[in-house]
Order: sequence, then structure tokens, then C-alpha cells
Amino acid sequence: MTTVRLLTGLALLLPAAAFAQTAAVDPTGATAQGDVAVTIYNGGPSLVQDDRQLSVNAGRNRIEFPDVSARIRPETVNLSGPGFSIVEQNFDFDLLSPDKLMDKAVGQEVTLVRTNPATGAETRERAKILAANGGIVMQIGSRIEVLRDDGLPVRVIFDRVPPNLRARPTLSVTIEAARGGTVPARLSYLTPNLGWTADYVALFDAAKGAMDMQGWVTLTNNTGTSFTNAKTILVAGNPANGGGRHNWWQSPGTGGSGAIDQAGTESGPRERLGDYYLYPLADRTTIANAQQKQVSFLDVKGAPARATYEYLNSWMGSSTEPVSASSVLKFSTSKQGGLGDQLPAGTIRVYMRDARGDPQFIGENSIDHTPMGSSMALRTGEAFDVKVRPTVEQRTKKGSQRWETRMRYTLTNARPEAVTVDLAQQGLWGDTRVTAQSLEGKRVSADRMEWSVPVPANGSVDLSVTFDSRY
Amino acid sequence: MVSAKADSVSVTVYRQPDRAKGAIDPKWPGGYALINETRIIDLPKGDSVVRFEGVAEGLMPETAILSGMPQGVREKNRDARLLSPAGLVDAYLKRSVTLRRTDRKTGKVSEQDAIISAGPMGGVIVQTAQGYEALGCSGLPERMLYPRVPTDLSPRPTLSVIATSARSARVTLQLTYLAEGFDWAANYVADMQDDGRHLDLMAWLTVANGGVTGFADARLSVIAGQPNKQGRKVQPRSTGGPLQLRCWPMDITSTHPQWALFPIDMPQTEAMMDSAQEIVVTSMRAPAPMMAALPPPPPPPPPPPPPEDVGDLKLYRVPMTVDVAARGQKQVALLRQPEVLVERLYAATIDYRDGNGRSRPMTLRLRLQNRKADGLGLAMPSGRVALFETIDGQRLLAGETDIGDKAEGERVDYDIAQSSDVRILALIGGQSAKARRWTLTLTNARPFDATAEILIPHDIAPRPTQMERRGNSWVWRATIPANGEISYSYDQKLR
Repeated sequence: MTTVRLLTGLALLLPAAAFAQTAAVDPTGATAQGDVAVTIYNGGPSLVQDDRQLSVNAGRNRIEFPDVSARIRPETVNLSGPGFSIVEQNFDFDLLSPDKLMDKAVGQEVTLVRTNPATGAETRERAKILAANGGIVMQIGSRIEVLRDDGLPVRVIFDRVPPNLRARPTLSVTIEAARGGTVPARLSYLTPNLGWTADYVALFDAAKGAMDMQGWVTLTNNTGTSFTNAKTILVAGNPANGGGRHNWWQSPGTGGSGAIDQAGTESGPRERLGDYYLYPLADRTTIANAQQKQVSFLDVKGAPARATYEYLNSWMGSSTEPVSASSVLKFSTSKQGGLGDQLPAGTIRVYMRDARGDPQFIGENSIDHTPMGSSMALRTGEAFDVKVRPTVEQRTKKGSQRWETRMRYTLTNARPEAVTVDLAQQGLWGDTRVTAQSLEGKRVSADRMEWSVPVPANGSVDLSVTFDSRY
Repeated sequence: MVSAKADSVSVTVYRQPDRAKGAIDPKWPGGYALINETRIIDLPKGDSVVRFEGVAEGLMPETAILSGMPQGVREKNRDARLLSPAGLVDAYLKRSVTLRRTDRKTGKVSEQDAIISAGPMGGVIVQTAQGYEALGCSGLPERMLYPRVPTDLSPRPTLSVIATSARSARVTLQLTYLAEGFDWAANYVADMQDDGRHLDLMAWLTVANGGVTGFADARLSVIAGQPNKQGRKVQPRSTGGPLQLRCWPMDITSTHPQWALFPIDMPQTEAMMDSAQEIVVTSMRAPAPMMAALPPPPPPPPPPPPPEDVGDLKLYRVPMTVDVAARGQKQVALLRQPEVLVERLYAATIDYRDGNGRSRPMTLRLRLQNRKADGLGLAMPSGRVALFETIDGQRLLAGETDIGDKAEGERVDYDIAQSSDVRILALIGGQSAKARRWTLTLTNARPFDATAEILIPHDIAPRPTQMERRGNSWVWRATIPANGEISYSYDQKLR
């Protein structure tokens, strides 16, 4: 009995090996990928290089490549290796399913296994499928029948599956080999749905005027394929959009977060590819399908940072209610007194410790690709306690195209310490001059004027400015 | 190795960024929460994969921070390949399974080895020794048996890390992350005292958790203010789900294609009769004696601590640990301020409707000054205010309004109702090319003096010296005598 049980146990395992010749993929579960290297561009298609060993016969061979990205861009496939040349490449994505299988079986013979519901006895017969429109019409011997017209169970067994139908989108390449044997080949292609962004965690300490910053690369894989034990390089940049030419709705200058106050001019030791930065991962890693993976790339402790406030009045208008000023975190990416690295585009999340010492989230914003040495101003949110109320005191007509506007900005601070608000007035159209101001401001452009207004603790301050506009 | 649950947890809830007022969406609250979990695990020597279970459903994996690992974390992963009928077929594609059929009559079980050759999209095709078959298309009871669970499928999207340790050790980890599916709101209840000049103000803090994970004994706090929150990036979709076995077309001779016959139009009368029979129950005011029978209310709990500053935001801490239940809302007291001085005034703004000689009602406005001297003086998060007045022993709702975030020192206006007894009439007396003569008349049919505040968005000539300027408008404040009227005339400069 033991032997018999052992044998049945073996029989359960054995067919896997027995079917291995017919099945396209090794059923033991190993991936068909070879030595994989993945280069991932943020926001763009990614480059996959797959070094496989091909066993070929001399002459023409048709080779299938399973376990490539289901989102492969077939026109970018490149197969190279010594001793063979490519005749043609096919990418088949007609998927195998029961209705396709039946549709392709029209005109062919299948085996029917009928089960007698009373006795359980099975009877077999061969049938020819005539049509598959709404229902299956078939010919058995000399009679014509509709499949399962009587509702009794019938198994339909197909002899083969059509050669073009695949369980997965499959790449197949026909090559001409000089001689038989095993040849090394490198398959490379581009695939979308594999990208990365940077995520930063900044823990800000207002009392010390410092912050700790950690940077994480977040990899996302939506290709439908896992890349096993892959050598991974991340490229900060997207070479696929024609060298950074943008349309007006995605313009990097006016869009984005505007977090860079002053672009930096320092160079770091990171590897470069043209004008892009490379972030190779130290170890090989498996990027599984439907996975979001994070790998650390930056860890800086105690970089100087300070919190300020900004308020922008975008035209010479007024508000009946006070409006919150923006909370701004200022820091530098410079080597001296800063993070000392360039920052790939991503999201910076800022945390502060509460009275018990637990970190609390105080806001986030996105940054663009930031060179080293830049001074940064990250708007993290709206201040609860620091508010500005602009008021148009008087608007006087001085001539046919000349107006005088007296503005008063009431700045309030409910915090127990003094703050400084960077107040900006924009919309100075035409020839607008400042004829009087209670605090010396800075004309940063023809359109914009800025003041740094100190506001005492639990106090308020009025800034009065008179504009003389000629249109 | 698996970390099954948190040993202690703190939850800080943030409001939905664009919801200044209005109710919380109970299905999936639009705010988020910062969750800080302490977990104790036994870490073996060498590399190990630690899976975190029992984290919030809406976990945003890119925000997860883990501290406490002795050698740090090599990588963090969120896997969304789920263990499900379709996920199993996907994992066993081109691999060997057992096909088991049961005879309905005799109960005889027959097993057969098969290889899944297509699936799970659009049905499953298996390859047996006889040939190829579609699963679930024969009408026989048949099912697939899998030898084991694939190691990379998880019951739900799971956060895991790869960590290295030089020796086996028991470590205390801090896992901090942001999670969607939370929200909070402040609901103020203001009781007008009998003198009409003081309010008893209290506020409920409503916290909602829309996820399937609850947090027991959590330290709960909420953040008021407006931190900036970016839109989310695309996250890998989870694979798996139900297995839909689709077959070839299954019509037989006795089934009719659906398009062959038009549906019969049924008369609608019966349905209308049904709806007409609905019973409507209206509420009745309970008689006064029953009200008196109520026991005296228990003494109120101590007022919650004042908010603390976290950067430029306000943190309100719930003083005790609470359970944040899955798919639930919870209410705790946010603040309690008795004896708040309130000013009752009637407000109006001159606008395009005025000048035609028709009078219109003014708005009853309750004005609070958010300062210590008036019984307030604390940061008040935005929310809805319900004002109650007690008339003849009955507590009645006098009005509801929404207010925004108010810092200490700000003016807080509750616009409660329209008063038909206190009205404003604006008349244009005369007009030249340079000026327009306005006369504003305020009437009061109430037996009390009324304070009025009118916003005049006009360029008044000559320029007033005593009036306050607010925004683009002048503020005219006046007292209307009881059962009397008052008027004010001015010239609006047109050029």
C-alpha cells in the first residue's frame, strides 16, 4: 500500500515534468529572464536589458521570449549577440480565452465527453464545429446538433490551441544562426508603466533652526511582469519628451511648485548621463509586478532651515476678512550650509515635533529637479495665526489715465513670538510708482513690489503704501 | 517574518483640504491621518523581510517612515498582488494544478493533473493529457486544487521592509505613515443666555475613520489649519479579484436572443398607488410637564486642554486614549467656553439691489471678539455653529451658520437669520454727472434698541473721518431706537 501511495504522490508531481515539453514556460516556477538590468527614467519609459542564453540550431530559428514586460514597446526591441542575425520580430497580443479557442476551432474536430447523469458513465465521440454564433452548432457523424441543447453536461476537449493565441503578450523573434549551440544574446526594449519619483521626509526643528532630511526613491511597477534580481539604475530626467520641450500647460517654468528661489551653480559627485543624474542602486533588487518599492538615497542631519511667512496680493484689491499668510520653509541645497546634494523632482513632506515630541505632519509640496546650491522656499500651508488684510483706503483719479491708490495692509500675529512676513504686491500694471510707503520696500520687477514686515508677538502692524499708476 | 499588530498607536487626523464646510463623506472620508505605531518584533540575524499587518487601509506607502532598525532599512515595498481566485490562476499560469470533478449522482471523485494554459482574463483554459479544455464550460462540477499558496501573494496590500541585523535582537520600531480615509470636523453649539449678551459655547470634535482597520486605545489628536497636500501619484493597481469564468456562446435552440422581442410596457398605476400609501409621521412637541421630569444633567467633564502650536498649525489633543473604530465616527468635546460676550447687531451691505425704494430685511449677526477679555481668546477651527435660545423653558434652534478658521484676536461673525422687523431702505435722491445722492433709512419694529452695521462700497464725498474702512467699503454703525428709525444721507462720487 505504501508503494502505491508513494506512486500516486509521485504521479501528482510527475506530470509537471511530462508536460514540460509541450508547455512554453518552465513549470517549476523560475522566471525565464536572464541577467536583467533596468534603467528607469522618472516619468518616462524605462529601458530593460535582459542577457539570456539561447540554444539555437544552425539556420533559421523562431525563439519566444516569455517574461518580457506586457507593456513592451515592440518597435524598440533590439536583440543582439554573436553569430546570428534577425529575420523578423513579432509581438503577439491576441490572448487565449475559451471563446477565442472555440471561434478558432470552427471547421475543426473536437472530442466530446458526455456524462450520463443517472449512472455517471462517460461516452466519447468526435464532433466537427460548424459555427459559433451565439451558440455552438456542430456535426456529429451525420447529424447536426447544438452543444448542450439538452442542458446535460458535455466536456469539450480541443486537440490543440491555435498557434497565435497566447496566455500573455509574447515577443517572438526569428533569427538566422550561423551554427547551432548556445549563444549569449542581449534583449533590450523600452517599456512604459515603470517609473520612479523621489519622496522626501523633512523633520524641521524650529527652535534649532535645523532640519533632518531623508530622501527615498519610490519605484512603481505596473508592467504586468516582475523583474527578478535586476541591476537597477535610476535616471533623474525624462529623455523621451524631446529634450524638455514643453507645451504651455506643462511648462516647467511657470508650472511646478516654484520652490526654487535661486537656482544653484554647484556640482556634486553623482554620476551623470548627459545632463541627467544617475542614481544606481547598491544591490540588485527584485521589482515585482504591482509593487511600489522605496530605496533610500539621501540622509542629511541638521541642515540649516528656517520658517518664514509669505503673502501675495495679486492685484490692488482688498479683502473684508483677514487672509492667512503662507507658511514657507527656507533651506539651501548647497554644500556649505545646506543639504549638499541635487534633488530629483518629487514631494517634500515636512514634519515637526509636538509638545510631547511626536512628529506631526505640517504640510507638503512638490519640487522640480533642483541643482545643488539652490536656495529653496517650500510653501507648506496656510498659517493659522499670521494673517494679512489688504484694504484699499482711497482710489483717486488724477487724470484721464492716471490713478492714485492708497493701500493699507493690516498684518496680525497671534503667535507668542515676533515674525516677519514677506508681503508682495503684484499687478503693478503700466507705469506704477510708489509715492509713499511706511516701510522701505524692494521693487523686484516692474510688476511686483516686496516688503519684509516685522510683526510683534501677539500684535498687529499696518503697512501703508501709495501707488501712482499711469496707464 | 510578520508584525501582526501595533503595540501602541497615536492618530492625528487632518481635515479634507478643500472642505471648509459641509459634512464629512461617511463612505470614504476625504481627509487623511498621520499614524504613529510602536511595534516590538524579534529580529533574526542577517537579512530578513518584515511584513507589517494591521496598518490603516488607506496607507500611502510613499509616506511610510520606519525608525528603530539597528542597521537601517534596505528597501521598503508595498505589494499589491493579492491572494484571490484570479490571483491564484495568475500565479499558477503555465504551472501544474489538480483538476477535481465530482459526479453529481454517485459522488464519485475523479482527479486529473492539468496545466493552466490561459487565464485569468476571459476565462481559464487547462491542458490535460487528453487535450485542452475550458474550465467551467462543461456543466460538470469541477474545480482546481493548488498545491500551496504562492509566497508573493498577500491577503491585502502589505507594507514590507528588508532589514539587516548583525545579531538577533528584540527591537522597538516606530512606524509612521499618512493614510487616507480619515476626516474631522468641528461642530459648535452656542447657547444664548437669558440676558442676550452672553453665549455658552462648546464644540464637538467629530472624527471619522472610513477604513477597515480600527485603532484601539489610540492617542487621538486633530490638526486645524491648512497644510498643503499634493494630489496623489498613480499607485500600482492591485492584481487579482474575482475569477470570472467566461465560456464560448452558450445559446441553445430554446433560448431566444434578447433583441428579438421588445419588452412589454407595464402600466405604472400600481406603483403609484403604492407610493401614495406611505405613512408620514410628523413630530409633536412634547408637553412641558414631561420635560420637567427629566433628571438633572450630570456635571460636565473638565474642559479639554487648549490647542498647542505645531509649526503654523494647531494641534487639539484628546486628553484620554480612545478607540478609533473601523468604519465609524466618534465625537469628543473640543472646547468649552462659558460666558462668552456677544454683540447682537443687524448687518447689511449696499449692493445692486438697492436704490429702487424697496426695503429689505437685514441680517441678524452675532459678533464675538476672539480675545481673553471677552471669554474667548483661543484658536477656533472652522466648522458649523448651531445657535440655541431658551424660550419658556424650551431650547429652540435659532439658526445655523459656517465659520472659517479664526485665530486669537480676530472678529468672529455668526450670520444667523434674516430679520423681517429690522429693515433697510436705500433711496437715490438725485443724480448728477459727478455724484449720486443716497439716503439710507433703517427701521426697527422691535421693542428694543438695535445696533446696525452697514457696509457701503461707495466713494463717499466728502471723505468720512469717523467711519471704519473694511475692504473696499465704509462701515456705518448706528443704533436704531426701539420702534423707531434712523437715516443717513451721503453723496457717492461718480467721477
